[in-house]
Amino acid sequence: MGSRRDFFRTCGGVGCALAAGASAGSVLLPAKAFAGSSPRVYPARFWKKLGQKRIECELCPKHCQVDDRERGFCGVRENRDGEYKTLVWGQPCAIHVDPIEKKPLFHFLPGTRAFSIATAGCNLECKCCQNWDISQSKPEDVDFRFMPPDEVVRNAKGYDACVTFTYSEPIVFLEYCIDTAMAAREAGVRTTMVTGGSGEAAPMKEALKFLDAVKVDLKGFTEDYYQRLCKGKLEPVLKTIEVIRASGVWLELVHLCVPGQNDSESEIRAMCRWVKSHLGADVPVHFSRFHPEYQMKNLPPTPNATLVRCREIGLGEGLHFVYTGNVPGLSGESTSCPKCSKVVVARRGFEVEAIHLKAGHCAFCGASIPGVWS
Amino acid sequence: MAEDADRSDRRRFVQALGAGVLALGVSPRARASRVHAAIAATTVGGTRAVASGKPRVVVVKTKKALVHGYDADRGALRAMLAAGLVALTQQKDAVASLSKLVRPAERIGFKINGLAARQAATHVELVDELSALLAKADVEGRQQIAFDRFARDLSASGFSSRLGGYRCMGNDEAGHEEELSQMPSSASRLSRVLTSQVDGVINLPVLKQHMLAGMTGALKNNFGCIHNPNKMHLDHCDPFIAEVNAIPAIRDKQRLVIMDALRPVVDLGPAYQSGMIEVANTLIFATDLVAADAVGLALLEKLRAKHGLPTLAKAGVTPTYLATAAKIGLGVCDLQGIEVVSIEV
Repeated sequence: MGSRRDFFRTCGGVGCALAAGASAGSVLLPAKAFAGSSPRVYPARFWKKLGQKRIECELCPKHCQVDDRERGFCGVRENRDGEYKTLVWGQPCAIHVDPIEKKPLFHFLPGTRAFSIATAGCNLECKCCQNWDISQSKPEDVDFRFMPPDEVVRNAKGYDACVTFTYSEPIVFLEYCIDTAMAAREAGVRTTMVTGGSGEAAPMKEALKFLDAVKVDLKGFTEDYYQRLCKGKLEPVLKTIEVIRASGVWLELVHLCVPGQNDSESEIRAMCRWVKSHLGADVPVHFSRFHPEYQMKNLPPTPNATLVRCREIGLGEGLHFVYTGNVPGLSGESTSCPKCSKVVVARRGFEVEAIHLKAGHCAFCGASIPGVWS
Repeated sequence: MAEDADRSDRRRFVQALGAGVLALGVSPRARASRVHAAIAATTVGGTRAVASGKPRVVVVKTKKALVHGYDADRGALRAMLAAGLVALTQQKDAVASLSKLVRPAERIGFKINGLAARQAATHVELVDELSALLAKADVEGRQQIAFDRFARDLSASGFSSRLGGYRCMGNDEAGHEEELSQMPSSASRLSRVLTSQVDGVINLPVLKQHMLAGMTGALKNNFGCIHNPNKMHLDHCDPFIAEVNAIPAIRDKQRLVIMDALRPVVDLGPAYQSGMIEVANTLIFATDLVAADAVGLALLEKLRAKHGLPTLAKAGVTPTYLATAAKIGLGVCDLQGIEVVSIEV
């Protein structure tokens, strides 16, 4: 409770409301200070002029061509008189302090906290989105507060947390991410991103200069899944993942197993093989439980057996770190040393119960465990 | 208070329909649904050509509806409205025609298209004249509301609330319903203007070429009733436009289309583009949104040809959503199945 009070003070006492029903961590929502207000407008980057006031966005593979006074697919970037603007820079609509394990990032500073922010908007529309109320909303449809990069960093520091861009889709508020990550780096605060990965390489490379870890949702491993259920494409996501891996920034992948949609043995096996051949065996892969939400309330939650089976496939294909997620207590939450098989980071849910690492090496056999540990 | 007002209106509306329509002892929801059914029956019966059974679309043209630039001549619009409404409903005059389409005490929304500002928006003069006619049909100005996605678009198109006249409201001011309306391909929150503030909608689109959808008319105009049209522009907006128009709260409130084709945008739409306007001095009247768009599309193709432009198909932007809308029963898109009445005033 102390830290929560501190946060209220940090926010300047403008009335941050506590949110109930959070799954874990201390959860804070922004004040209604700007509810119903028009969002502030800032110049967007990563676009080009097409003439006659029309522009083309170069932030993501959709390459929206946007007329004057219109917005792109994401709903948070608007053409104003031939200039593209972002309507979400510095205007998060969700501000939470989470365990880093909730992202999930299992090989990045385990047991620490993530000062997590999101704005409205997304460049996909996943039918099973868990955060659809913000990701599928426009800036003016959600409550938000003004929080410029230096204030984000100050808040994160106050919590001894890293900054995480998450919940909706950071790619659509990439200018805010980059500016915040730059400020964070100057202040010695780490930054991480949780993304669907549907972005163009150039802007992503710009962001990667200042990021310390990225978790990508690899939502499926077929074009059909992405087109049918996400209004997106698989190929650009795979390219983004490769760009992140090549950059040296720590990378983890999550695959939300939606029953009957993306959990077939052949699809999981193909995905694991691709990960191993294109990224290497050391990139952690999390198989997470789906919960019926948004436009997929008709499906049941993922059976535990499916998650266990997916993990077995991943390990069988030679991946070193394969986890189950969203089911506290299910086997597969802890990190084991690939060499001696002993547990080096013991977890239950988002709780870290024990860490047996010495300077990034297994405390039992001395094998190097890839990740960012300090 | 809003809920009370709503109930009161409903009560008066039910009385106006006549007690015989409704059975006693049914739930308010069931009652509302029956009311919608009654309206639909009345509307369809009044506007279908008796002999042919085809939906009627009335194309009214005048020699000069525009004064200069984009300003419209109110006298010319009055004459066009009268001719169009009478021909559509076969009533004795415009007021009687509107009475066939709306009921006293109903709250009527004007869904305008204000995206392209004054240069290519629904003419405010048209809505003013329609509003005056509605008032004569016992739908007072305070029961009328012009709406679109953003207040700024209404304002930029010349719409503003006036004392005794209709109100103007952007969805950004009124907000959207929390509850999602599910469609096969997507989901949306509906404008609270649509769901809470109006009983019926008069759809007033502007005929324009649209770089993504092919064309924008009555069906696409209803993208202004949802919170996320930005998610619906993939694949030439197909099947999204059709699915949005099939949402009961949208479908059941459509009373009349008056398509503003005074100055259609023939290419590079939906924004206003200098040099891409063809003056057509035309209004298109219908109650079948698909039929209205089909006739509008034919006019658009004609104007494009006049402008030296290829057909939309050759340009790679066929509005395939029209056929999808017809397929799911929203109306008729085949011109052979539409009774087109052309009038020159």
